[in-house]
Amino acid sequence: MSRKKPAPAATTVVMCLYIAEGGPNSVQAIANLEAICKEHLPDRFKLEIIDVIQHPLRALADGIVVTPSLAKLSPSPTARVVGNLSDKSSVLRALGLRG
Amino acid sequence: MKPTPPAASMNAESVMPGREEHAPAEAAGPDAGRRLEKVILRLVKGGPERLAIEAGQADAIIDPANGTVILLPEVQRQARNRHIGSALDGLTAHIAVLDPAGVVLAANKTWRDAAATRQTRIGPGVAVGASYLAACAAADGSERVDGIAIAAGIRQVIAGERRHFRYDHACASPAGPRWFTLSIRGVADDPPARAVVYCEDVTERKRGESLLALEHAVARCLADAGNAPAALKAVIRAVCETQGWDCGRYFRLDPAAGVLRHEESWGVPTAAVEQFLEKSRDLVVRPGAGLKGRVYQTGQPLWIRGGAQDADLSQTALAPGTDMDGAFAFPVMSEDQTIGVLAFSHHTVRAPDDRMLQTVHSIGSQLGRFLQRQQALDTLRRNEARFRKLTELSNDWYWEQDRDFRFTQSVGHGILGAGEVLGRTLWELPNIVTDDDEWVTHRSHLDARWSFCDLEFAAVRPDGQLSYYCINGEPTYDEAGTFTGYCGTGLNITDRKLAEIALRERAACSLAASGPVSG
Repeated sequence: MSRKKPAPAATTVVMCLYIAEGGPNSVQAIANLEAICKEHLPDRFKLEIIDVIQHPLRALADGIVVTPSLAKLSPSPTARVVGNLSDKSSVLRALGLRG
Repeated sequence: MKPTPPAASMNAESVMPGREEHAPAEAAGPDAGRRLEKVILRLVKGGPERLAIEAGQADAIIDPANGTVILLPEVQRQARNRHIGSALDGLTAHIAVLDPAGVVLAANKTWRDAAATRQTRIGPGVAVGASYLAACAAADGSERVDGIAIAAGIRQVIAGERRHFRYDHACASPAGPRWFTLSIRGVADDPPARAVVYCEDVTERKRGESLLALEHAVARCLADAGNAPAALKAVIRAVCETQGWDCGRYFRLDPAAGVLRHEESWGVPTAAVEQFLEKSRDLVVRPGAGLKGRVYQTGQPLWIRGGAQDADLSQTALAPGTDMDGAFAFPVMSEDQTIGVLAFSHHTVRAPDDRMLQTVHSIGSQLGRFLQRQQALDTLRRNEARFRKLTELSNDWYWEQDRDFRFTQSVGHGILGAGEVLGRTLWELPNIVTDDDEWVTHRSHLDARWSFCDLEFAAVRPDGQLSYYCINGEPTYDEAGTFTGYCGTGLNITDRKLAEIALRERAACSLAASGPVSG
């Protein structure tokens, strides 16, 4: 008889993606994050996309210096990934989806 | 999740950040480059930001000193390309880039839209990724020669044998023929692009020129035509040949009957058209009936597109088995009144554009004025002929003189033959018998521009006998009130005069025979 591991509670992951509108890496980051969320966080994520060209001070206040950058805000611990999110395992680790 | 417009947010609980800040990205240039280097150097070596930049995974850096966003060079280049792309997409011309094999590498929106709807086979009808040269080679019918010429031009430009190739051509399209001006230029410094195609749709301009030429042709037809039937035939033919229509017919308003009757027609010389026109000759159209009746009633142009089915307008449905299943009719106007309807037939008839409507209005008005003028002239000619007939039937004659009292016209039984009278004054005629005093008096009346009545004089006939005449006259003036001469009538009173003379002679004889009366 096998012991089933209890399923983790469906916690909503809150994220913030900082991009530069039209930048190729920003476009790539959006696409990569879209694929990851669809596969690993269906219906349990909240994402805000911020164009730093329009809102540079907001980005600066959040400690963002380079775009694209993904910030995981909750649940704790917070984490940050810089780049076009093509390294899927890094993203999953940052989001706490893989150990 | 779908790609979302930046500066917004996404998912079920989207949050729109406030627009509390806006700092335009720094423009490219040496200063921006130096500042970019400085900011990068301040980043922690080996840190995620620095690594992302070094891996080419970053788009922009925010200067922590002042919040200025500095775009990385690649992003700046792409932004420039995007702006150029937007500008090209905003142009109405069709623009595409060809590779060395003549394949369309990229195209602006106008070209892509044309390709998507397959508006034409050659030119903008070639989709991105397809070969322009192959499309040219596949052109057939009337486009075959154009396809060969364009393909040759493209090859020459791609091979560098010429810098520029320009060509005007027409393409068949579902909406009718379209005209393009094609311009192809070589590209040397942006491989794999080898040529840029700039194709401008000049259909509207060409069509405008064609319609203007038609208006001029109609004006020439009317100027050259000697009568209404010739003018109508010439105008109908000019319209048909310009528009590529098979035939046209003119229906004249019969004011007495209140109907339109066939008056004149022209058609291409084919059996079907000739048969159709023959059947039209006795056609009578009531106001409001069919296409022509509606045009007469409304005073507006109407049309049936080729291939359209309109049972209500079946009267205009043309000969079965021909290409004439489309019709276009417009009123012929004079002084704001419809005096007739011109109706044309062909399968290529389409809904007219504003320019076409303007042209048919012009043609209808020109023709209407011409026909009314011709009608007035015909009436005048008929009246004149009637007048001549009457004067020929009577003893009277009609005459006219110029300002020097020389005869310019003599109609009817005059004093002498018209040839002997014309160019002379009455008193210069060689056979006139009267004394000089009478002429002096008569000339003084003429100099005073008086009318005169019952001026009697005698003339010697060729047989030596006298004839007697009586004339009446009155001065004539032009529109400006300037004296132009005299006109009047004359009457041969020889019989009356001879009778009077005979009576006087008999009375004298009787008096002599009776002898002196003694008291």
